[in-house]
Amino acid sequence: MTKLTEGAIEALSNGSGANDVVLQLVNIRKIDGGNGPARFRVMMSDGRHTLSSFMLSTQLNSLAEESKLAPNCICILKKHVTNILKDGRRVVIILEIEVIKSADEVGGRIGDPVSYVDGQSKGPQSASNPESRPPLQAQNRNEVNRGFNRDFGKKAPSAMPSTPGGTSKVVPIASLNPYQSKWTIRARVTNKSSIRTWSNSRGDGKLFSMELVDESGEIRVTGFNQEVDKFYSLVEVGKVYYVTKGSLKIANKQYTTVKNDYEMTLNGESTVIPCEDSCDVPMVQCDFVSIGDLENRDKDAILDVIGVCKSVEDVTRLTTKTNREVSKRTLNLMDMSGKMVTVTLWGEEAEKFDGSGQPIVAIKGAKLSDFGGRSLSASFTSTLMINPDIPEAYKLRGWYDKEGHAMDGQSLTEVKGGGGGGNTNWKTLSDVKNEHLGHGDKADYYTCIATIVYLRKENCLYQACPSQDCNKKVLDQQNGMFRCEKCDKEFPNFKYRLILSANIADHGDNQWVTCFQESAEAILGQNAAYLGQLKDSNEAAFDEVFQQANFNTFVFRNRVKLETYNDESRIKATVYEVKPVDHKDYSKRLIMAIRKLAAQ
Amino acid sequence: MVLKALKMAGILDVPKPRINSHMLTQHVSKAVCLVGRVEKVHPTGKTFTICDGEGKIATVELNEPVEDDLSGVVEVIGIVSNKGTLMAATYNILREDKGIPFDLELYNEALKVIHDFPQHYPFEVAASG
Repeated sequence: MTKLTEGAIEALSNGSGANDVVLQLVNIRKIDGGNGPARFRVMMSDGRHTLSSFMLSTQLNSLAEESKLAPNCICILKKHVTNILKDGRRVVIILEIEVIKSADEVGGRIGDPVSYVDGQSKGPQSASNPESRPPLQAQNRNEVNRGFNRDFGKKAPSAMPSTPGGTSKVVPIASLNPYQSKWTIRARVTNKSSIRTWSNSRGDGKLFSMELVDESGEIRVTGFNQEVDKFYSLVEVGKVYYVTKGSLKIANKQYTTVKNDYEMTLNGESTVIPCEDSCDVPMVQCDFVSIGDLENRDKDAILDVIGVCKSVEDVTRLTTKTNREVSKRTLNLMDMSGKMVTVTLWGEEAEKFDGSGQPIVAIKGAKLSDFGGRSLSASFTSTLMINPDIPEAYKLRGWYDKEGHAMDGQSLTEVKGGGGGGNTNWKTLSDVKNEHLGHGDKADYYTCIATIVYLRKENCLYQACPSQDCNKKVLDQQNGMFRCEKCDKEFPNFKYRLILSANIADHGDNQWVTCFQESAEAILGQNAAYLGQLKDSNEAAFDEVFQQANFNTFVFRNRVKLETYNDESRIKATVYEVKPVDHKDYSKRLIMAIRKLAAQ
Repeated sequence: MVLKALKMAGILDVPKPRINSHMLTQHVSKAVCLVGRVEKVHPTGKTFTICDGEGKIATVELNEPVEDDLSGVVEVIGIVSNKGTLMAATYNILREDKGIPFDLELYNEALKVIHDFPQHYPFEVAASG
């Protein structure tokens, strides 16, 4: 029969209880508290006394939900924290517990325990033996109890250092909750946002956020206005700090991927003090998903990945819808699944990234997209780590150097390239027809490499309204004036614009396409104004331009859409962009396609 | 014997498979084409080393000294000796001053494709390319 640790309840309710005590669970009850995670209140017995003020920390909720923790089961309390509520009651928060005998095996209550009342124990045993209880003396209220019978008169050599100049001892992040206020955590900053500002009807302000990690867990911390001024420059990613007196609240999962039910807001009383001795605090907590498994994950999932940076593209700049310019860079990560995925970095991280030497790249909190198969995006809440000092990285490096480097890596992301933006969708012209591109509700876009086989010279130029941004065709009034219906004006002049029909071909098929101004100019190698002039003055030279343009090969970005005129449907293909072939890029793509084909 | 026969037939008339430094030993006494970046030219000018797309070094030997400032990427056509050196019959400097620099690594990848799928790249059977 398993023996319970008699006297443990008494010790626990005095705040001096040790860990690794054996207790019987008497009752467990779910407390539904608002919109936060459910909490479980537990009543425990040591055979002599019962105490109902145990709380299960939320990360252990599964034990209760799976009914592993059920009345009568016997457990070892492995790690706990005692908190004192405002009214002086003690709450024992269970951080780690192990069921050594299930409820079924035990089958009943052990002993005849009576409810323990603080300081005034009932029951004959303890009344007759009051000296077994440690004296109620001034002691730290938040105590991670690590050894039995700790002598509180002396400063015990603690596994966790105490805060500089402070009296409160360090507690694990996992034990933080809104019901306690006196604590210190010692944690490493794994991510720090830039300062963001807001401005709305209620005023404006600024904020920053960071993520803290210790061996028990992680938490997101936000600072506003004054706290931004006070702490932003102090906090450095990768360093360890003591943090006290933050306000805790239920985490808004919409804004965070941090695995904690609570988050912290820094307030006027909060302190953040750098910690020198930091080697035992873990760097970062990641739950890496194999790249091969990404296909089975939901779109928009936030996850952690680690891989070898097989290749990296140059940084590009683009303008967002809100007219902000951002930098962007894509790289390919491969892991031991032999699969590869494209990751997009943004902003400063895109600019600073150095992919030379094929480093190990770990990303915490990357967002999975189903764009072009499967791809990942590192947002401002993601943490990017190059050659991180973690076992996974060394394992991966070893694998890559030994065998992985010889693998080509099957990409989950459609092969991109040509700098044609992130959404290059390479097709051959026969693919376009076989896959019925353009037959859907929305137009399809694709990129292909094709050669000009015919240019229709007739009607390729039209007379357009000369006002800026109006390219409407004008009507020749036959009196030296040209009328634009759109501008409702007459002009003494017009400008020539191009609308060129071209037949393009690759090894498998050909396609009629329409090219407007810029793309037509790129194909013909002359601008529209000059061509108009040639057409009016030198027909032979004009013809020559078209002859010269034949049989040149370009990268085309086309839009296709099924359009219906007079009950007749046909695919209309419009050229959006024409670029010279980047042979290096083209070769890379062909080699990759050959390898992919051979692997099938 | 083979060497002599090849020389007599004239190197231009036989197939010259593209190889990298690693494959030299598999092509002893055969005509090959090797592309790499010039590393060191011997003071006599009659031998130089090149580094291929895998970073492997090969030694090239010539009958006549090379021109003064041999550098950059060269394409050497010659016959592989028993020692695994390349006896050059002719070489050609691939100029990089205009346009895109020659990507030796990428060239090496393409080269591996040719050797991995000989059924699709039957250059050895065809006349010289």
